[in-house]
Amino acid sequence: MSHPSSQTIDLDVVREMMSHITYADHQEGQELILFALQEINEHFGWVSLEAAEIVADHLGTTVNRVYALLTFYADFRTAPRGDNFMLVCHGMSCYVAGSMRLVQSLRDRHGVSDGETTADGALTIQVVDGCLGICDRAPLVKLNQEFHGELTVETLNDLIGRLRLATSSGGAR
Amino acid sequence: MTHGHPLTLTPKLAPSLPNLTSRAEFESFREEAERQWSSYSTPDAWVVTVGLDSSSIGKGAGDVLARVREQLAGTDAVVRQASGNGANWMEPWVEIKRPGQPPIVYANIEPSDVPDLLADRLGHRAIGVIGDAPYGDIPPLQELPFFKLQKRILLRNVGVIDPESIEDAIARGAYSGYMKVLFDLSQDEVIEEVTRANLRGRGGAGFPAGIKWASGKRARARPKYVVCNSHEGEPNVYKDRRIHEGDPHRLLEGILIACVAVGADIGYNYIGGEYPLAIQRFRKAAADAERLGLIGKNVLGSGKDVGLRIRAGGGAYICGEGSALMYSIMGVRGQPRTKPPRSVEEGLWKRPTVANNSETLANIPDIVNNGGDWYASMGTGKSTGTKLVTVMGPVKRMGLVEVEMGTPFRRVIEDIWGGMKDGHTFKGVQTGGISAGPLLEQHLDVPLDFDSMAEYGGMLGSGGFVVYDDTTCAVDYARYMMAFNRYESCSKCVPCRLGNPAIIEIIDRIRLGRGSEADLALIERTSKHIIELSLCGLGQVAPMPLLGMMQKHHEEFLEHVRDGVCRCGTCPIESRVTAVAAD
Repeated sequence: MSHPSSQTIDLDVVREMMSHITYADHQEGQELILFALQEINEHFGWVSLEAAEIVADHLGTTVNRVYALLTFYADFRTAPRGDNFMLVCHGMSCYVAGSMRLVQSLRDRHGVSDGETTADGALTIQVVDGCLGICDRAPLVKLNQEFHGELTVETLNDLIGRLRLATSSGGAR
Repeated sequence: MTHGHPLTLTPKLAPSLPNLTSRAEFESFREEAERQWSSYSTPDAWVVTVGLDSSSIGKGAGDVLARVREQLAGTDAVVRQASGNGANWMEPWVEIKRPGQPPIVYANIEPSDVPDLLADRLGHRAIGVIGDAPYGDIPPLQELPFFKLQKRILLRNVGVIDPESIEDAIARGAYSGYMKVLFDLSQDEVIEEVTRANLRGRGGAGFPAGIKWASGKRARARPKYVVCNSHEGEPNVYKDRRIHEGDPHRLLEGILIACVAVGADIGYNYIGGEYPLAIQRFRKAAADAERLGLIGKNVLGSGKDVGLRIRAGGGAYICGEGSALMYSIMGVRGQPRTKPPRSVEEGLWKRPTVANNSETLANIPDIVNNGGDWYASMGTGKSTGTKLVTVMGPVKRMGLVEVEMGTPFRRVIEDIWGGMKDGHTFKGVQTGGISAGPLLEQHLDVPLDFDSMAEYGGMLGSGGFVVYDDTTCAVDYARYMMAFNRYESCSKCVPCRLGNPAIIEIIDRIRLGRGSEADLALIERTSKHIIELSLCGLGQVAPMPLLGMMQKHHEEFLEHVRDGVCRCGTCPIESRVTAVAAD
């Protein structure tokens, strides 16, 4: 399973991942840049400059090109996450169902806004301005790999409370 | 965002699949699959099916399936997974076919209900029977209001087959159209059927697929490509996810047929990165099809080569735009370009490319099998066939349905979705995702098709609608949609990059109670700039929801600027006096 909380990126693992990505020609190599970055982002929770250099070398392109993608596509992070990662869906169904209250509560009670990590490093949140596509369960968050729907400010706080408990007792995920 | 797709490029293959080399071998494989499929419905069969997809898994369907497996271990019962059937309100559901009974569907089953369910003590939770006749006092499922008005063509197998089993799909008719296209029909005959069907693009623009295919086939440069656009970033639309998670082989067959019909070398499917399960199931489907020999060189000895590549998006809404999507596949930033040249002349890698929405392509197998005239007989003259539709907001039932084009919108909202939840009052319904304006109560008799809604400032778009009630402030809602566009603007051209934030500044002034009527005129003027000067479809429609809201809820905007009142109490309006003092 992935480790969304890695603070450092083991470059040998990145090289190992790249060795699985093969391509027939330069064209296919370029098509796979995004895929390679997604694999690294999925595995470590973020992509470092050093990892981006390995991707560029492996796929025959420049690190500038790779970094241009990292900073354009919303899914990528270029800094480590907290121990847990929460996507707060702010799509239209979630907006109508009150996702703004969830975002406000995260800011007021836990001191985190979009893209930030709590002071204790337990939780990073990212507000999804697009849509996670599970609209029937709005308002919804994706915590690590799991979706939690039909949330209210209280149930969201319970969720975070349980998370903190699990993390502090050493049993994160 | 985390995607959950496996490290290796190809998922684990089912080792039991043979490599087929001729049509005859495919037919015997199909007969075997049909035998297996029909064994589920013999009178003595004991089959338990649980619907698993991204939304039901979040509600515990995975645990339900695990409990069922555990309880029935060592018995004759067959335990299967299907995907959800679109009726999110009844998830997690379990379908049980006991010996001597028809299949009965039970709704909202928790993992702890499983022992009682299997011991047949939950008869009161049965909501429907699969089949035409009632069983005791349980009505047929298709007679329930949610299903009755639907016409399920695309969703025929969704919630029925196991989406991870190619045998199930083939038993239910998958790849029979592909066989015709490989062996019986010429390229022109296939395109002719699609043209006669008058199949229009389901991504929102409604461009006829037949015309696109014909110009794709005429293009002489090689190689050629087909691109399936499965990147639905549009908020509250998840029709493509439903197809990928429920019946991936239908879409795959559509892509393969398109490749053969236009003479493309490789078909691409670009799936939104938000949908890990959809990506996973489509990858599995493609790997199985390749293993069977349905993708590759000289498919089943037909002499035709078809390739397939799957690419996942990175969470950029703009990549749903055709040219941006192709740039994204090419490994650069997804930013649209000016047209012409159209993508059928110069698309992916500057080669002729036929780009279709995945709902469009999912219609293709049935059109090839039943003929274009059959398809054109459904719907209205200009909008044929069916449409996948989602309605969200405070309505009674949640889900995704397929209705015939031309169905009155009011019936869709009131019959299928059951109208407003108790305690909520209908105020309006936002149409076309975030690309058009809302409709009010008096507009609801409009038929659901490509052209009728435009008359009232609405749009069918990709079929996503959001109902909002009287606690939603029109100004705040409009700001939300403008903020979406501001965030998702790719920043390539100035009117969109700077115009959207400028409009948000004006709305924020209004929300604070510091606006004036002149601000409303200023919004209209700025909007005109964005609409007329932006390069791509996102920019050209970005202010549409705001203008629609201003037109439909004019009074409410006036109250904000004239009286400093937000009737819903959403906007952080300061009183006039303090506002003046603060200035």
